[in-house]
Amino acid sequence: MPQNYVPIFIFLLIAFLIGAGTVLVASLIRPNNPDKVKLMPYECGIDPVDSARKRYTVRFYIVAILFVVFDVETVFLFPWAVQFKLLGLFGFVEMMVFLGILIVGYIWIWKKGALEWI
Amino acid sequence: MLETVLFLIFAAICVGGAINLLAQKHPISSALSLIVVMGSLAMVYLLLGAEFVAAVQIIIYAGAIMVLFVFVIMLLNAGEEERSATGSRVAMVLGVPGLLAAAVTTGWVLTRHGPASTPVVLGEFHGSAHAIGRLLFHEFLLPFEVTSVLILVAIMGAVVLARRGE
Amino acid sequence: MAEITTLHYLVVAAALFLTGVIGVLTRRNVIIILMSIELILNAVNLNLVAFSRLYNLHGQVFAIFIIADAAAEAAIALGILIAFFRNKETVNMDEVDLLKW
Repeated sequence: MPQNYVPIFIFLLIAFLIGAGTVLVASLIRPNNPDKVKLMPYECGIDPVDSARKRYTVRFYIVAILFVVFDVETVFLFPWAVQFKLLGLFGFVEMMVFLGILIVGYIWIWKKGALEWI
Repeated sequence: MLETVLFLIFAAICVGGAINLLAQKHPISSALSLIVVMGSLAMVYLLLGAEFVAAVQIIIYAGAIMVLFVFVIMLLNAGEEERSATGSRVAMVLGVPGLLAAAVTTGWVLTRHGPASTPVVLGEFHGSAHAIGRLLFHEFLLPFEVTSVLILVAIMGAVVLARRGE
Repeated sequence: MAEITTLHYLVVAAALFLTGVIGVLTRRNVIIILMSIELILNAVNLNLVAFSRLYNLHGQVFAIFIIADAAAEAAIALGILIAFFRNKETVNMDEVDLLKW
């Protein structure tokens, strides 16, 4: 039903209006006299040293991979959950096999120490 | 009427984002325009009536895959790509006609041997999670289970590759 | 205004596909080449979903499998890129000329 999407679009519209509106109103009413110190990036009061474009550690990438895995898992869980009653025990076993294989990967990453943050 | 306007808007955003992806110099700008392409493609899927595919497109493509890309761009921070001063002449001689030939062939195939063009009516959703689930857990059972093995291999490979030499 | 048919969606998919191919062929940054491959996969998905409207839902299920596989592909490809970057400190495609380091 297309009318089911009307609340979503109203929501998107309001979100956009609030975001754009605050930026617009703030730019209209704020005083505008920047100087060098004010334009400096804020780092808890300490003067920033070095470039902000430093390389990050690769551990972030491993966490992102874990996120991708469980994201894909969620996508397959969703139609299964909707169909759960019709599928019965067979569907339950199916999904447990799927989850089991993915959890093997999770345990492997854990045992490998990739999640240790040193 | 409404579907024509919506289709034109989102198809234009989609193709424009794809062209912008190639035009941008810095990878992070390209990643952002790829997110625009993914989002507008999800809207195009909705216009086609594929609700669940649209949701999956947002969740996996715009959510997960783009996070990977942005993380890797931040991780490597390789800056702008270096271009060679002179373009390859072979590429110019073969590439431009090849591209034109590809475009003309595609257009010819689409207009001559295109599918039965039934109009796409807005609001005919037949790709709900319910219908997809019925198909996925009955007819596509084996591919579904094999997908989990594929993802398992993918995470193991990615972790081994990323941690090598650390 | 003209009616929108399946053909129009196929034209959008063809445009995305060609853009992706141009990206793979012309850019030198490996990350942008990978993004162009994602564009190509998306064009295929759009084709599958558009055709599933004419026939049955199988195309949409295929599209979901392709999206899941694209996640696996992106994870592996970016992992290879990280491993490569460790050795050569570049993401330039022209420098990728060794089978073994």
